[in-house]
Amino acid sequence: MTKNLLSIKDLKVNIEEKEILKGINLEIGEGEVHIIMGPNGGGKSTLAYALMGHPSYEIVQGEIKFKGEIINDLSADKRAKKGIFLSFQYPEEIPGVTVEEFLRTAKTSVTGETQKIIPFKKLLKEKMELLDMKEEYASRYLNLGFSGGEKKKNEILQMSVLEPSLAILDETDSGLDVDAIRVVAEGVNKLKNDKRSILVITHYNKLLNYLNPDYVHILLDGRIVETGGLEIAKEIDETGYENIKSQFSYDGGQ
Amino acid sequence: MLWNRIKLDDFDFPEVVDYKKEYVEFNNLPKEVIIEKINKDNNPTVDNMDVIEYRGLGRKFTDFVEKSHNCGIYLNIPKYVKFDEPIKVNFRMDNEDSSVIDNNIIIVGEESEVTIVFDYETQNEFRGFHNGMTRILAKENSIVNIIKIQRMNDVSQNFDTNMAFVKSNGKINWTSVELGSNISGSSYTTYLNEEASESELNSIYLGDGARKLDLEYSMIHKGIRSMSNIRTHGVLMDESKKVFRGNLDFKTGAKRSKGIEEEYVILLDPNVKSDSLPALMCDEDDVQGEHAASAGQIDKNKLFYLMTRGLSEREAKKLIVEAQFKPIIDNIPIENLRNIINSEISRRLTNA
Repeated sequence: MTKNLLSIKDLKVNIEEKEILKGINLEIGEGEVHIIMGPNGGGKSTLAYALMGHPSYEIVQGEIKFKGEIINDLSADKRAKKGIFLSFQYPEEIPGVTVEEFLRTAKTSVTGETQKIIPFKKLLKEKMELLDMKEEYASRYLNLGFSGGEKKKNEILQMSVLEPSLAILDETDSGLDVDAIRVVAEGVNKLKNDKRSILVITHYNKLLNYLNPDYVHILLDGRIVETGGLEIAKEIDETGYENIKSQFSYDGGQ
Repeated sequence: MLWNRIKLDDFDFPEVVDYKKEYVEFNNLPKEVIIEKINKDNNPTVDNMDVIEYRGLGRKFTDFVEKSHNCGIYLNIPKYVKFDEPIKVNFRMDNEDSSVIDNNIIIVGEESEVTIVFDYETQNEFRGFHNGMTRILAKENSIVNIIKIQRMNDVSQNFDTNMAFVKSNGKINWTSVELGSNISGSSYTTYLNEEASESELNSIYLGDGARKLDLEYSMIHKGIRSMSNIRTHGVLMDESKKVFRGNLDFKTGAKRSKGIEEEYVILLDPNVKSDSLPALMCDEDDVQGEHAASAGQIDKNKLFYLMTRGLSEREAKKLIVEAQFKPIIDNIPIENLRNIINSEISRRLTNA
C-alpha cells in the first residue's frame, strides 16, 4: 500500500455563494497518476483552484489533507511551499519580469534557499532543452505574447524547475498540437517518481496515451461519479459523456 | 486653482542661503561647449524661450526661482556636437546646503545630442527644500534627453518646473522618477513650436506614507506634424495622494500632429487618493489625440498566479510594481544611479 499524499474528504466549494463542488472524495498516494475527466461545467477547474487555494473559492465543508496536514486555510504560497503545483489553463502574463528572473525567485521561495545565478542558469537551460524550448524564452517577459502552446510549455517548465510533490495539470493538453503534447507528457513523466504524484484534469484524453494513469475519475455536476482504470477513458472516447450523464440523471449543472 | 487639490494655498518660501557644494560632473566635454554655474552674480539672459501659454506650478514658484536662485547650470552647446557620456547634476540638501533653488538653462544647437541627469537628494533626516526651474531650447534636428530623479526624504519639499522649446525636427525626451518628499509638485511643459518637432515623456512615481504628489505634463503643439507621447506609471500606497494633469493642446497650425497620453496607476491601499485629469484641446481639426488610463488594484488572478509559485502576497505585489517601473529605470544611463533607485523603490515597498 502506497503512502497517502493527498486526501480530500466530502469537499464542498462555493463560488460567489453558488455550490460548485458538492462533496468530493479523493485519495492520491505517493507516486500515483490520477486523471479527472468530465464535461465542461462539472467542476474540474474549480477542484484545481480549490486545491491550490484561490481566495474566491470558498470551502464550505470538508477537508483537504496534504502530507498529513489539513491545508484548508493555507494561502496559495504556503501550499506551493508544501509542494503543490498548479499548471494553469490560462497562465497570466507578467510584463517586466523575465522567465528566468521569475523562476529563480519562485525556486528561492519554494525551497527557501537562495538560487545562485550561474548554477540556476544551467539548470534552467537543461530543463528547457528537455522541453524543446528555445533558449531565448528565458529572457522573455513571463507569458507576454506567448502563443497558447508556448504558455502551456512554460507551465510545464515551471513545474520541472520547482519539482513539486503534487503537480495538478488543469487542461494542459488543450490547445496543444500532437508534438507539443508528446513533449509535455515527457516532461510530466520525468517529474514523476515513487514520491511525486500527478493529477491531470482534462476534457479530452489526448494526454492519456502518453501517461500511464493509475486511476481515472469522472467528475460530473460537482461529484466524482465513477472511478476506474484506463478503460473508462476509452469508453468516453468512444461514446462521449452522454451515457454517463443519463446514467446519473445529469441536470446540466442547473 | 492648481494647489487646491493638495491644499497648499498659504505657502511661504524659506530663506535662501548660497549652495556651496560642487554639483556638476562630466567627463570628456567637447571643447566648443560652454558650461557655467548659475548663481546670484551670474545670471544669463534667455532668448527664444517665450512662453506662449503659461502652465505649471504657478508664477509664484517660477518668479521665486528667477529672483532667488542659489544654483543651476547654464549649458550652451553649438551645432553638431555629440557627447560620449551624460552630464550629471547632483544636488544634495544637508545642514550646509539647506535649500536648492536651481535655475537651469540649456541650449542645444542644430544636429547636437546631449543627455543630462539631474538627481535631487537629502542627507539622512535633514528637511530639504527644492524649488527649481529648467528651461531648454532644442534647436533644429537636435536630441535632448533630460532625466530627473527626485529621491528626497519624507520630510522634505520639492517643486520643479520644466519647460522645453523645440524647433523643427528637434526632439526632447523627458524621464521623471518621483520617489520622495512630503509634498512634491513637478511640471513638464513642452512647446512643440515648429514642424515635426517631437517630445516623449516617460515617468514613474511612488507615493507612500502621507506624500502629496502633483504632476502636470503638457504638450503644446504649434508646429505642423509635431508628435508627443506621455507615458506614466505610478503606484500609491499608505495614505498618499496624487493629482495627475495631462494636457495635449493642439494650437492653430498644428495640422497633422499627433499626441498620445497614457497613465497607469496601481492602488495598493484603500486609503490612497488618486485624481487624474487628462485634457485634450484642439484648435485644429486635422490632429490626432489619444488617451488611455487605468487605475486600480493589482489583478486578483495575477496575484494568485504568482502566489502559486511560492511568492507571498507582499512579494507578489512588489514584483508586479517593480516590473512596471523597470523599463524606465533601465533607460537611465548611469549604473550607480539605477542601483540606488532600485534599492530605494524596494525599501519603500518593503516598508509597506
